[in-house]
Amino acid sequence: MSTLPAALQSQLGRVGRRLASGVLAGPLEFMRAVPYRDAGHGYDVFGYEPLHAAFALSVLESVYRHWFRVRSYGVESIPDRGAVILAANHSGTLPFDATMLWTDIVLRRHRLPRPVSDYFVPSLPFISTFFARGGVVGGTVGNLRVLLENGELLMIFPEGVPGITKSFRERYRLRDFRVGYAELALRYHTPVVPVGIVGAEEQMPRLARIPVPGHPFGLPFLPVPLTLVPLPVRYHLHYGEPLYLHEELRPGDADDPEVVRQASERVRSAVQALLERGLRLRGGVFR
Amino acid sequence: MLGASTPLGERLCAALLADPELRAVLAVTREPREQTHLPEDPRLTWSQVDITHARPVHDLLFGRVRELEVDVVVHLAMHRANDFGARVHVQNVESLRWLLAQADRHPTLRRLVLRSYGEVYRLEPDLPSVITEDHPLELSPEAPQWVRDRVEADLLACTRMGIASGLEVAVLRCAEVLGPAEGSQLYDYLSAPVCLRSAGFDPMLNVLSLEDATEALRRAVYAGGTQGIFNIPGADTLPLTRCIRLAGRLDVPVPGPLLAPIYELRRRLRGAQFSYRLNRGRFHFAAVLDGAHARQVLGYTPHHPVAWQAGLR
Repeated sequence: MSTLPAALQSQLGRVGRRLASGVLAGPLEFMRAVPYRDAGHGYDVFGYEPLHAAFALSVLESVYRHWFRVRSYGVESIPDRGAVILAANHSGTLPFDATMLWTDIVLRRHRLPRPVSDYFVPSLPFISTFFARGGVVGGTVGNLRVLLENGELLMIFPEGVPGITKSFRERYRLRDFRVGYAELALRYHTPVVPVGIVGAEEQMPRLARIPVPGHPFGLPFLPVPLTLVPLPVRYHLHYGEPLYLHEELRPGDADDPEVVRQASERVRSAVQALLERGLRLRGGVFR
Repeated sequence: MLGASTPLGERLCAALLADPELRAVLAVTREPREQTHLPEDPRLTWSQVDITHARPVHDLLFGRVRELEVDVVVHLAMHRANDFGARVHVQNVESLRWLLAQADRHPTLRRLVLRSYGEVYRLEPDLPSVITEDHPLELSPEAPQWVRDRVEADLLACTRMGIASGLEVAVLRCAEVLGPAEGSQLYDYLSAPVCLRSAGFDPMLNVLSLEDATEALRRAVYAGGTQGIFNIPGADTLPLTRCIRLAGRLDVPVPGPLLAPIYELRRRLRGAQFSYRLNRGRFHFAAVLDGAHARQVLGYTPHHPVAWQAGLR
């Protein structure tokens, strides 16, 4: 039996959605034009939903255009359909690099990137839900397999947490890459597009990190950045040509640790080369 | 059919009897015939058996089952209420063990279809949100008996695949059937006018309608020659908050640690079934069954969404 408060809440929810759809008409129209697999109630199985993504886009687009003033090079390297893995460097204490990359691809390539998060992210209240609505998925092999089989675009930061939390003096020196993404690329014959993100390293220099006893929500530690908000550095996103790691390999080679390691190393070298080119080309941290 | 008086059992009886080629359905219930809603059909035989004792199970198998030359057993007789204790365990697990042991030397039985549960899977942040049949099971010793019994029964059936001579085993791990008297924890949760949930979490759920569950079981009955584990997802994949709204309930987010004691109090005071402890995982982390195997082998695809308002009265 429906209660009055519940009916009122439901009505408010509907009004809120209608209002949000009106306010966010432009981004919503844009996001609705980006294909996704609706599982039946307007959400995909991982929780992505266009209205929330439109809200994220409306906020992020301002940051993208006016705060970080992102410049993008070679985004057309991303195939316009089919499964693709984007492998990028990760840095900056807080994952603004992921949000800028997501925004760039949505705006300029009209595809929905699925950022792959670390294991602890689904445990974080509010953040986990907000991220899921924008297309973020937990970084498990099972999830990634489903996405690749569905022909989706994965956005992976193979350095993981060690990348985003490295100290300022280690900037633009890539950490070791986790190799799971390379194995998936080999197994599912998926092209890997390397991405070098220049600018994020200087956005929030980390002063220290505070260990979190007991790892609540799986958080390894809390970073202490120099500034509370990121500095208005200019982002440069450099996309490389797709790497077809599986070419000239047999299907069973995805199980060979050495083959997988070499494939990942090839991607890492490509990302490092893009970073070096990006650093050479930029006029300064804020330019 | 064991557990024929459950809503699913009654529907499945009707669905099977719709096949004119089918010679007989033996409906086994714990309740007297007049308390059931089994269809009237000359091919339906009813039998009242208490499966919590070994002797009646034996006598059923080597009595009516043999007489009617029953070749497929559908097991739906898992204890539905959120109770615990030795007797519940016997019904959930030991009765199946007796059945499997005796099926080995039974002259007519050739197939067992076990209705299992999506709740047997372990839900953790580092595990996939889309659950395939090889997903880890909830084997934690801290898991409530409700879950442990289901896991044990499921594994018991799985271990017999290919071992019991001539007996095919199909284990159907069904998403939650959102309906009354089906032992659905979510149904009980949504029966309250106010639904509390952990603030900051709105995981994706998948729920199954009675129609689709019936169809999946019917297909499994007829899928002779195949055995294995099959996830049976429903047609509704949606966030928890949307479930609550569709059910016409008030959605109230509260700090997570408060939920277990509040719902335990509700259970004790109101005799409710829902236990937050039992559902903690899926109230935090997305869990959607992947039905690819059932689609490929059984030809099952969910087509019937839950009738939200009608189904939750």
